[in-house]
Amino acid sequence: MILRHSQPSPVRRRLGAAHSPPRRKLGGKLARTVALITVFLGLAVVCHSARRVADQTGRSVEIPERAERLISLAPSITETLFALGLGDQLVGDTDYCEYPPEARLKPHVGPVLNPSLERIVALKPDLVLGSREANRIETADQLERLGIPVYGVTAQTVDEMLSSIEDLGNVLGREAEARRLVRELRERIDRVERRVANRPKPKVLFVVWYRPLTAAGPRSFVADVVRRAGGVSISDDLSGEWPRMSLEEALRRNPDVILFPRAESFAPSPEDLTTLPGWRNFNAVKHHRLYFVSDTIIRPSPRLVDALEEVASFLHPELDFSGREKSR
Amino acid sequence: MKIAATGRNVVTLVLVLAACLAVVGLVALAFGGAHLSLREVWAGLRGESSAPEASVIVRQIRLPRVLLAMLVGAALAVSGTALQALLRNPLADPYVLGISSGAALGAIVALWVGGRVATASPLVAFGGALATTAWVYFLGRRAGRLASYTLLLAGVVTASFLSAAILFVLTMLSTRDVRGVAFWLMGDLSVVTESHLRVLVPVVVAGIVALYFFAKDLNVLLLGEEEAAHLGVNVAWVETAIYLLASLLTGVAVAVSGAIGYLGLLVPHLGRMVVGSDHRTLLPTAALGGAIVLVISDTLARTIVAPAELPVGAVTAVAGAPVFIYLLRRTAGS
Repeated sequence: MILRHSQPSPVRRRLGAAHSPPRRKLGGKLARTVALITVFLGLAVVCHSARRVADQTGRSVEIPERAERLISLAPSITETLFALGLGDQLVGDTDYCEYPPEARLKPHVGPVLNPSLERIVALKPDLVLGSREANRIETADQLERLGIPVYGVTAQTVDEMLSSIEDLGNVLGREAEARRLVRELRERIDRVERRVANRPKPKVLFVVWYRPLTAAGPRSFVADVVRRAGGVSISDDLSGEWPRMSLEEALRRNPDVILFPRAESFAPSPEDLTTLPGWRNFNAVKHHRLYFVSDTIIRPSPRLVDALEEVASFLHPELDFSGREKSR
Repeated sequence: MKIAATGRNVVTLVLVLAACLAVVGLVALAFGGAHLSLREVWAGLRGESSAPEASVIVRQIRLPRVLLAMLVGAALAVSGTALQALLRNPLADPYVLGISSGAALGAIVALWVGGRVATASPLVAFGGALATTAWVYFLGRRAGRLASYTLLLAGVVTASFLSAAILFVLTMLSTRDVRGVAFWLMGDLSVVTESHLRVLVPVVVAGIVALYFFAKDLNVLLLGEEEAAHLGVNVAWVETAIYLLASLLTGVAVAVSGAIGYLGLLVPHLGRMVVGSDHRTLLPTAALGGAIVLVISDTLARTIVAPAELPVGAVTAVAGAPVFIYLLRRTAGS
């Protein structure tokens, strides 16, 4: 599929064929070659064609001054690139990149965890963008070895998501767009935080998976979003990103609200869940406060703010957060 | 013995299998996540492609991977062959004896303490393989001799204990590290670097050649330790050397490619069906056969769900279990 995309057009191929025989006649071509090289070197110096920077994960990356062909290795990055107006420069993304809808039409390089190196190479990217949370470091190492620069971002909180947007904007020459986007997002975040400021804080359990009961750890988007939405996550004292919690302990802490990711992979309905042994005793179940939250809550993209507004409306149904249309 | 192990026969056999391996390797180069025409693959392989990507894909992505599959396949199959003869038990292989689990645990502990699976761990994995080997060997010795069934059972129990230890360490690792390890544990040839090959080529070749020098001893050991001792074999020394060499081959293979099952168990069986059980022919057959089987398996792993990839360990297990059952019933019937 990719090669269909990147294959030299018949015209180019014919051009290539026409060009190759003269190359063998060395003689006077040598002077021209030298001249060409000189010109290119000169251009390179003038344009300052690449710069070496440290990416967000601390790796040193050589970035082309004008990256025209980008590949995103994470859905969050794909979303951010489109939000920064870089959709046209995106020449490839992962099988999981589904938002915005245009992202589905891009050539896919495979899954997030083990993308096809071959397909990435075949798409001839100037720069590949990866995420420390989503990708494997082995992928970045291998691409670097093949001479393809990989710029890594990392974000585990709402603030870090915002700064990774600014960072991508700086690296990709979209500083103004990034600043504008971040300002808008910040305004929406502030609005939510102002509204919930003096409200009682419900106890919240975010169930990443229910068998075994897996909650959100303190350093995750979920915990940050719940906090900003005016709730208290009951799993904030556990360690790890996605700690397991015994059902007994969850019942003892008795959350007022239980949230689930609204993902296709999360099959059970609220009815299924309330019939699980023990679950009837949760306050949240008794008062029918089980909600499915957009799965953008675990995705460091601009839509994380949509999830924040959604969670705030679940935690504080009496308040109005309809400042902006929800994503779903 | 189906093929007499005269020098000429062995050479012919090796040449024929090597030719098969070369053909399989070339075919494997033509497949992958990116769609390249055969002409592009050939041009890319010779570095004459008009598109530099084709050359990068064929020479820097596919070729090292095919070479790695050959080395790992040969190492595991030869290791299995030697262990089956050593223990006079057709069920013996690096996995059953816990050697692979030991190597895997070593690599994962290295990751836990610091470092990455891809870089620092081959040495530690080999250490894990060797430590497991020593432990199982210690348990399996009775009165200075290897007790075949004791050793086998000790290996099985040690392997399951080590698997539990691996699970324990996995729960201690951060999500990010687990992702890398999970792939590697299932058997994965996708992370291959030149430095891997630079270590693997000499170690695997030297290990196989060294084991070949024990081919006659392996033949004699098949008769039983008593008989071997009567025939003038220094049983204790020969057994130790063979066991260590088999561990070395397994250790380096697992360190680079993770847990690839069934190869060390089945390729020796298939080899015996074709050439009989004279190790002077069986060892080279297993080496080249293992290489061929793993190259084919990895090509399937790379292409079945492209652009995604399956772990090659899943392919060998899915294909290996039915073959094993077939062999089992065949043997039971005869």
